[in-house]
Amino acid sequence: MNAATPSPEAAVVAERLTKRYGSLTAIEDLSFSVAPGEIVGFLGPNGAGKSTTMRILSGTMSGTSGRAAIWGVSVALDPAGAKRNMAYMPENNPLPEDMRVEEYLTLRAKLKDVAADRVEERVQRVMEDCDLARRAAGRLIGQLSKGFRQRVGIADALLAEPKVVILDEPTIGLDPHQILGIRDLIRSLRGKMAVLISSHILHEVEQVCDKVVIINRGRLVAQGRTEDLRRELLPDCSFTVTTKADEATLLAACLRCEPKATLTPLTATTSDWNTFRVSLPANSPARDSLAAGLAIAGIPLREIAEIRYGLEDIFLAATRRTPTESPRS
Amino acid sequence: MRHFRTLLAHELRTALLSWNTWAAAALFLALMGGIHFFALLEGSRIASERTPVEATLWFFWLPLLCVLPLLTMRSFAEERRSGTLSALLTTPASTAAVVWSKFLSAWAVWVTFWLLFTLFPLLVQQRLGTPGETRLSDPSVLWGGLCFIAVSGLLHVAIGILCSCVTRSSALAALLAFISLLALTAAGGAMESLPIESWTWLSWLHEPAAHLRTFAHLQDFAAGILDSRPIVLYGTGTLLCLGLAVLAVEGQE
Repeated sequence: MNAATPSPEAAVVAERLTKRYGSLTAIEDLSFSVAPGEIVGFLGPNGAGKSTTMRILSGTMSGTSGRAAIWGVSVALDPAGAKRNMAYMPENNPLPEDMRVEEYLTLRAKLKDVAADRVEERVQRVMEDCDLARRAAGRLIGQLSKGFRQRVGIADALLAEPKVVILDEPTIGLDPHQILGIRDLIRSLRGKMAVLISSHILHEVEQVCDKVVIINRGRLVAQGRTEDLRRELLPDCSFTVTTKADEATLLAACLRCEPKATLTPLTATTSDWNTFRVSLPANSPARDSLAAGLAIAGIPLREIAEIRYGLEDIFLAATRRTPTESPRS
Repeated sequence: MRHFRTLLAHELRTALLSWNTWAAAALFLALMGGIHFFALLEGSRIASERTPVEATLWFFWLPLLCVLPLLTMRSFAEERRSGTLSALLTTPASTAAVVWSKFLSAWAVWVTFWLLFTLFPLLVQQRLGTPGETRLSDPSVLWGGLCFIAVSGLLHVAIGILCSCVTRSSALAALLAFISLLALTAAGGAMESLPIESWTWLSWLHEPAAHLRTFAHLQDFAAGILDSRPIVLYGTGTLLCLGLAVLAVEGQE
């Protein structure tokens, strides 16, 4: 429906967003952007200000200062215009209990300015996409399981083919099968819509998102691609080494490769094979030559593997470095 | 406008399917049926200038205080409690469209209740009356009274909607509406009963107080007197309440 609208540089822009409730500051000077077609994970501990930010971006709450724009349209100055380009699924996904799924989606399609002659087609399409058509279309929403309710919320978000979709905890309370389904669905939106998704399931965000934005105590602490954040926040590298050599021999071999290397035993030495963690400083040249160096030193190796820091490690590192002066009074 | 029509159709459908509406309808018809029955009994015992219909309409305040709050209490309070109002406001539909659709839907239901009430006097007239006789049911009084209900109902329903906007609790919304409607209905009479004219510092209040006499408005409408002042009063009061309701919804969301 917005096919004719020229594509802006950023689908979502938050610029120095601040929200205060009296003396309490929920978010302060928060700036980030989401490019068209990009899937961005919005992370933060409980109470970090994720939902507040999402509500400001969706136009259901006004910020104290700063600028929020959806597809180039200011949320504060033209809320209806911004809402036409955007769909928002709130955290608890409130739905009317006494409406049937198809009936609800039809109402929402009309309210979202879907052309009258396309309402039925769009409703059927999103119900197919969200696996609602066969099993839930005619059922009362109040009788649906949590998984189906989440699907109804996501179907609602996709109804008007918005340029931007904001999903607040879309997989909360779902079982692993349902999470996989929702994850595939969100992945299928890549390139078609900009998606801003908040979730506590970091593994899921890592799998789905192109970029992450991490906030803590209302402030931005990191944003970028996972790889870039990994390099920025966790520059050192570690290996697990499974060997027959004892700790002293292995440490000596490691120090020959990298004088600042450290060694930590990981498993109890109950068998011949022991596992150690070898940590190297950032940008150490031994990162590429450790395996060869240990082999040359005659260390009997069964396994050597670089420990890949996951989003969980990045998240913990990012939230640890939050500025000390708290924005919350 | 398109959103308003969609929302109004949705609200009317919701009202039709809601147990709340049917419970309110049952209470309303039981109340008005009972009052009309006793008015007929009274009319058969004592000769009176007032017809049973007029006497029944005089008790319009009873369903106004007991039934109308039931119709309006859930309109916003329940939606705010469940979060569906927030979801609704994420669509391009404006807050004003949401408020007006809920208001008109509740008003339509309220007027429908009163139209259902007309069945009582019409049935009594058909069964017990004779053609041309107005002793049991004077149509001009009946329809004039209903016009008053429809016009004053605009303000009454708007007050109920406003009360529902300021709280998440339906029960509290009903209580607020009850108190507000009681104050509005009794205000004119209460102020007139005070010796305002003898209090020089309050003498200016005498004239405005005279315009608030709800029962006098009913009497005028039932007598076929179309005074523009109560219409302006109810109209502007309605716009004020709905404007405040829009601000309340926008402020809280």
